[in-house]
Amino acid sequence: MRALLRAELLKQRSTRTGLGLLAAMLGLVLLAVLLHSLLPAEDLGGTQTQLMVFGRGEFLGALFAALLGAMSITAEIRHGTIRPTFLVTPRRGRVVAAKVWVSMLIGAGFGLAAGALAAAAGTAALRARGIDVQLDGDDYVQLVAGATAAAALWAAIGVGIGALVRNQVPTLIGICAWLLFVEGLLAGDLVGLGDVGRLLPGAAAAAISGQDPGTLLAPATGLAVLATYAAAAAVAGSITTSRHDVG
Amino acid sequence: MTTHKSERGASVPAEDGDRDQVVTIRSLTKRFGELVAVDDLTFFVHQGTVTGFLGPNGAGKTTTLRLLLGLAKPSAGEALVFGSRYGELDHPARRVGAVLESSDFHPGRSGRDHLRALVLAAEIPPGRVDEVLELVELEAAAHRRVRTYSLGMRQRLSLAGALLGDPELLVLDEPANGLDPAGVHWLRLFLRRFAEQGRAVLVSSHMLAEAAQTVDQVVIIDRGRWVASGRLDEFTERGGTLEDAFLELTGGAP
Repeated sequence: MRALLRAELLKQRSTRTGLGLLAAMLGLVLLAVLLHSLLPAEDLGGTQTQLMVFGRGEFLGALFAALLGAMSITAEIRHGTIRPTFLVTPRRGRVVAAKVWVSMLIGAGFGLAAGALAAAAGTAALRARGIDVQLDGDDYVQLVAGATAAAALWAAIGVGIGALVRNQVPTLIGICAWLLFVEGLLAGDLVGLGDVGRLLPGAAAAAISGQDPGTLLAPATGLAVLATYAAAAAVAGSITTSRHDVG
Repeated sequence: MTTHKSERGASVPAEDGDRDQVVTIRSLTKRFGELVAVDDLTFFVHQGTVTGFLGPNGAGKTTTLRLLLGLAKPSAGEALVFGSRYGELDHPARRVGAVLESSDFHPGRSGRDHLRALVLAAEIPPGRVDEVLELVELEAAAHRRVRTYSLGMRQRLSLAGALLGDPELLVLDEPANGLDPAGVHWLRLFLRRFAEQGRAVLVSSHMLAEAAQTVDQVVIIDRGRWVASGRLDEFTERGGTLEDAFLELTGGAP
């Protein structure tokens, strides 16, 4: 397994995909936080809103980690490298497992970077406008640590979805659409899942970083729920990958 | 040469039980829904030979090779390498080198990094990367991204990947596609030398004139079914070329 992990790490390092995703993510974190910090001062003063604004790091970290995880498998299918990969390692479940671990590691880095940047940029923007930051040290730790954990788990979900869908473009669009609005629609007034909406994977990820404590799950519960999704996606992806013919 | 004429299965290759049998295709069948891509196919490949796996486009050659290499599962029958299913080999890359598509690279990754990822996964000494790059004469381009490679360079990089584990059997699907005359010549000598070392090559092709200069054993299939197999000279002994025999056997004669 160590050999496969090293091979997957090298695959990640030897193209510009990861760096491109990282750069795009950091740019979007800055943009999202700065745009939110233009809200009226009376709205921005509350703890809840500040957690939401600084939580853009968790959201974008999870999204980009999921894209990275998904591409670790869909890019191999798209470019055909899946064939040499499986010729060298016919036990495909091990390949998927190595992709899950390596994507979680890099995804954690994405989450850490996004969470830290959002907290730093948000703090600077609020100070610049003369708005008091209501968050204490524990809130900051939770925002950044929560973003790290959420992104790592979403990276595993991404690998699983990539293995299930296989086709790169629908996979990436599907992940973006789910996190950007589908889940919001399901949880919101339109569909009205109510409390069940808290159990959806995007909401669970937000809960880990301490956002919206009145509505969302407790952070530890969110972590357990998201870890369950991650494990289920990884197992489902591994099983389909092992059963499916490679073209 | 053994062939089947009218009655299907009237004359199929006899099981010889030789210990030098490196590929065993026995009653192999693959269906995709209604389509029968490979139909009750039986043939063998022996050590020390270059076996040409010939047939018109769509005959089922690539599907057969995918089944042999564990990339797809047979609907019936079996496809074995060294007496085992490919997926059951302990270190498959050290026994079998294979190229199914010569374009299986990430365009943004260098040729050397492509090979390095394979040796890491296969637990082959990393020094092999430079050895095979030298063997296929790609050292100078190894650091470049594959997107800058010509078709011939990609073919050679694919072959380099197959050779990493110093395998006993090479399985190549249409390896001469896209090679220039010098490349074809180089490949022919390479495959002959490989077989002379007591190893084996199974190479599919639809380029018969080229195949006739490279292979010493021939297996012909058509529409998924076994048509003929034997030594090359058995196909050409009546004075015709391999192409004449092929067209006659596959019903493609004018």
